[in-house]
Amino acid sequence: MSYIEFKNVCKEYKMGEITIKALANASFSIEKGELVVIVGPSGAGKTTALNILGGMDVATSGEVIVDGKRVTKLTNKELIRYRREDIGFVFQFYNLVQNLTAKENVELATQICKNALEPEEVIEKVGLKDRKNNFPSQLSGGEQQRIAIARAIAKNPKLLLCDEPTGALDYKTGKQILKLLQDMARKENMTVIIITHNTALAPMADKVIHFKNGKAEKIEINEKVIPIEQIEW
Amino acid sequence: MKRALLKDSVKEIKNTYKKFLSILVMAFLGVGFFAGLRASSPDMVDTIDQYYKEQEVYDIQILSTLGLTEQDIEEISKIENVEKVYGTYEIDGKIEIDNTDIVAKVLTIEEINKPKLLQGKMPENEQECLVEESFLTQNNKKIGDTIQIEIENTTNDEGEEVEYLKNKELKIVGTARSPLYISKDRGTSTLGAGKVNYYIFIPKSNINATEIYTNIYIKVTDSNNYTTSTTKYEEYIETVKENIEQIKEQRENARKEQLVEKANEKLQEAENELNTQKQDAETQIRDAEQQLADGKKEIEDGEAEIEANEKKADTEFANAQKQIENAKKEIEENEQQLNQKEQGANTQFAQLETQKQELQANLEQINSGIAELQAQYNIILEKIQKGETLTQQEEQQKIYIETQLQELQKTQQQLIAGITQIEQGIEQGKQEIEKAKKQIEQGKAQLETQEQQLNKTKTNTYSQIEEAKKEIENAKREIEEGEQELEQNRQEFEQKIEDAEAELLDAKEKVNDIEQPEWYILDRNANSGYVSFIQDTQSVENISQVFPIVFFAVAALISLTSMTRMVEEQRMEIGTLKALGYNKFQIISKYILYASLASVIGGILGMCVGFATLPAIIWDMYSVMYEMKDKINLNFNWQYGGLGLILICICIIGSTIYSAIKELKSMPATLMRPKAPKKGNRVLLEKIPFIWKKLNFSQKVTIRNIFRYKKRVLMTIIGISGCTALILTGFGLKDSIKAILPNQFENVFNYSLQINLKDELEEQEKQEFITKLSENENIEELIETYMTSAVAVKNENEEDVQIVIPKDDFKDLINLKDIKTKQEVTLKENEICLTDKAAQLLGVKSGETIIIRDTDNNEYEVKISNIVENYVSHYIYMSKEMYEQLLQKQYKTNVILTKDVELTEEKEDEFVTHLMEQKEISSVSRISSTMKVLDDTLKSLDYIVVILIGAAGILAFVVLYNLTNVNISERTRELATIKVLGFYDNEVYNYIGRESILLTIIGIALGLILGYFLNFYIIGTCEINMLRFSKIVHPISYLYAILITVAFTIIVNISTYFVLKKIDMIESLKSVE
Repeated sequence: MSYIEFKNVCKEYKMGEITIKALANASFSIEKGELVVIVGPSGAGKTTALNILGGMDVATSGEVIVDGKRVTKLTNKELIRYRREDIGFVFQFYNLVQNLTAKENVELATQICKNALEPEEVIEKVGLKDRKNNFPSQLSGGEQQRIAIARAIAKNPKLLLCDEPTGALDYKTGKQILKLLQDMARKENMTVIIITHNTALAPMADKVIHFKNGKAEKIEINEKVIPIEQIEW
Repeated sequence: MKRALLKDSVKEIKNTYKKFLSILVMAFLGVGFFAGLRASSPDMVDTIDQYYKEQEVYDIQILSTLGLTEQDIEEISKIENVEKVYGTYEIDGKIEIDNTDIVAKVLTIEEINKPKLLQGKMPENEQECLVEESFLTQNNKKIGDTIQIEIENTTNDEGEEVEYLKNKELKIVGTARSPLYISKDRGTSTLGAGKVNYYIFIPKSNINATEIYTNIYIKVTDSNNYTTSTTKYEEYIETVKENIEQIKEQRENARKEQLVEKANEKLQEAENELNTQKQDAETQIRDAEQQLADGKKEIEDGEAEIEANEKKADTEFANAQKQIENAKKEIEENEQQLNQKEQGANTQFAQLETQKQELQANLEQINSGIAELQAQYNIILEKIQKGETLTQQEEQQKIYIETQLQELQKTQQQLIAGITQIEQGIEQGKQEIEKAKKQIEQGKAQLETQEQQLNKTKTNTYSQIEEAKKEIENAKREIEEGEQELEQNRQEFEQKIEDAEAELLDAKEKVNDIEQPEWYILDRNANSGYVSFIQDTQSVENISQVFPIVFFAVAALISLTSMTRMVEEQRMEIGTLKALGYNKFQIISKYILYASLASVIGGILGMCVGFATLPAIIWDMYSVMYEMKDKINLNFNWQYGGLGLILICICIIGSTIYSAIKELKSMPATLMRPKAPKKGNRVLLEKIPFIWKKLNFSQKVTIRNIFRYKKRVLMTIIGISGCTALILTGFGLKDSIKAILPNQFENVFNYSLQINLKDELEEQEKQEFITKLSENENIEELIETYMTSAVAVKNENEEDVQIVIPKDDFKDLINLKDIKTKQEVTLKENEICLTDKAAQLLGVKSGETIIIRDTDNNEYEVKISNIVENYVSHYIYMSKEMYEQLLQKQYKTNVILTKDVELTEEKEDEFVTHLMEQKEISSVSRISSTMKVLDDTLKSLDYIVVILIGAAGILAFVVLYNLTNVNISERTRELATIKVLGFYDNEVYNYIGRESILLTIIGIALGLILGYFLNFYIIGTCEINMLRFSKIVHPISYLYAILITVAFTIIVNISTYFVLKKIDMIESLKSVE
């Protein structure tokens, strides 16, 4: 059995009388330490899948197993704990707490975690040691996203989920962020899942999952991973 | 507005219905409270107005010190605008139930001031009556029972005692309410414990003493066109009152003349009778004198007769005595003669005796001679016999002897004859003497008898005379007694006449003294229940002017935050519209429409609900104290509703326009970019490391956040502090009100009873009574005072005050304390002390002067030495010296204030009843019952406290809920993020909740300070003129305010918890709006 099993997951939203199927029998599996890129057009169900995987949403049917834990069977409270202990999340718009300094934003995560990493060390790791006492508004977008990543990995999660982490960033900065994520997966042996609509990023991943119409239409295993620096788009 | 925009606006409302609702609720509350509270007072007035119209309550009432008559009614009827005049009878009576005396005001059922029948039926005859509902419940009586009522006889104009009622035994046939007694207070009475307990209604036909009316009630023409207590009504009634004032003096004089005339008639009659009596008495005395004189004459005659008789008797008896004396002398002489004769005889007898003895001796010799001879003879004879022959000798001897014998015998015989003769002679002599003696004896005896007889007669006669004399003496004594009696009678009669004359004189004086009757022309404002109700409506009015302000302010603040938030949320859309070329007004109109709809709908709903509920709630609260209608008249008061609506629209729409315009100033491009989230900033506290470092992470976050959303934080604090302040005001108000009674009746007035003495009491009687009273075991201390009412005037302001003048000093029964220094004050010789509230109302300070107008309208200017503490009514305290100097009058005690030893209520009841029986006392008022009455009155203000707390609660809830919602909506992203980070629900709550806890603490602290001042402001606003609320807030009230605020915040925070729980992580993370 794989580290992550995503089996026949369906997700339906009821919008008044219309039922929208965001996921329709999506299935995939991910191994520990893999860097996975999920690609697909808008509305294909990527984010929904990620949300369900991250314990932020509940599947209508199907089964999700992470490290032997049946996420789909967890209660609300267990879900929170799952998010707290096992998941690190990186958002498109960073979602830093504006009122907290870079370091404090990281601390916001570490203070609720049992085996959290030292915030200062993590910040150093993302290369923002000098800016740790700055407020988000004093940082550039890339810097903010780095802090966001630092906040996610400081929890020492099993899974690092990133929803369009470069969506709001320019090309160069985006690349730096992706590099950081790739390094994380490589060096820390962390399982990283990145959602992007940019198929050009596929070569950097160990596994590429193509989403279409709520299904994982194609799962490619990339034998030859190309470092992000070499990818151009 | 373009159609698309209109559509957009409607959709906007649909989408943000919560926000719309919250603004709507604010408008609802603001207008509801404003309109509802504002309408309460007019509705209350309307209700009493309707009630008064239904029960045909008088407009003007006339009372007179000497009663009112049919002529008075006639005269008043002639006055312009007087529609109808009713003469009625009202008197206090006693009903005994279970050995306790109940004092009842007996009212006649009239066409005016109609009783409102609650149960049973109206009385049909003079044996029936109506009672109050409470009379039945409190005395265990029911309809159908009979009660016995005792009413003192009245004196009619002729001065005769008349039974007041025809029938004293009354059957209860129903219960009713009198419009004249809408409060619980039934007034005072001179009977029993000095208080009227109930009123009862009897038909007029039961009144026996119908000659004098006690009250005249007047219905003024068209007065029903006005609402009672309004200025228009008061002014209209005032004009009629003035007209009545004009005949007042004439009617008073007429009444006096009538009484004087009747009294004079009476006097004349009495005088005539006196004169007749005088004459009668004089005749009687004269007769008696004549009789006495006759008697005396008779006695004199009798005496003369007796004297004559006595004299005659004396002479007669003297003669008789003389005769007897003569007779006695004769007898004596005879006796003497006889004695002489006897002596002579006795001598003879002695001679004779001697002769006899000689004879006898001869005889004996003879006899012996004889015997010898015999013996010899015998011897001879013997011899003869023996036959012997006798010797011659013997014969001779014999013859001799015989001769001898013969001779001897002869001599013997002679001798015997002589002796016999002598003896006979003696005998004869003796007999003669004896006879003579006897004769004398007889004479003597005869004389004696005669004398005795004479004496007897004499005694008889004299005793008769003596008796006659005695009789005369008796008669004399009788006459004397008669004279004395006569004298006495005369004196008595004279005394009587004198008395009668004095009485007559007195009566004459009294006729002169017949006091000038005084009319009191009163309007409804003389009815204490009515006045206190109207005053209550005014305090409701006062409150209604303050509170809605708070709500409006809060509504404005809330809509400002909500709308600002809304405009901020829609800056993109605004930018787009602006970019599309819509002008400012078109863009703003959406928000104006939004706000207007919310405020108009909310406002209209609010006024409907407000009009329907608040007056009713307030009525329910007040109806505990008033017996009137069960339901308030609810009116849709457009005036207040409209005003409230306009005000709330100004607040809400104004703040909407303000926030929209502020946003619109930016360029479209700026608007279309998301508004930069509020920047994080270091707070000042971070620069103080020793505090900052001690805080843990979440505390730091909390503090940062607080300083980040300054506006909202400020508003939260204002909301919470407002809530705390209102609650504190509520409790503080209660504290202040509650403190009035102990302040006034324990601290200022420390006496238990106020005993009013009768006016006509002589100084000596008074002093004796006071001395007696001071020795009473129930009284610990007493002081003498003179009290009189007056008007204190300063410039335009006038206040009724009571002047109190102590005879010596107040001891500790009245404590005068300076309002500022709180020091004891002593009365100065030429300055007065004025009580605090009066000083405030008049606008004077210590050292200034005021004018006192006494009951005779004399005015005196006086200087105030001190303003003194006081909480109920207004007083002026003046020293005796000052009073005497100022008014040029002699001080005289008319009120005694006493302090009981500790008495139970029953004991005090007994004591008061005992006091009321004293003839020197006119009335007794008890501090304890005064306190009870006031306590009831003050309870009304209790309800205001409840309203305050309720209002505060709603305010707190709305403000907190709204602000929390804005807070959450503004920070959804942040909250969603921390949720994603894996914060538990309670951790998420704490993230926000810590802020509200801190803000609550700050808000409460500020609120306590704010409340402290608001309390004083409100106290100033709703303070009744006669009262001074004390400025106290008990510590426990602070605690209540804190606890209740905390409770409200907890409720809001619980709802916050659930709102937070519902935040959808996914939706909020997707993108920036």
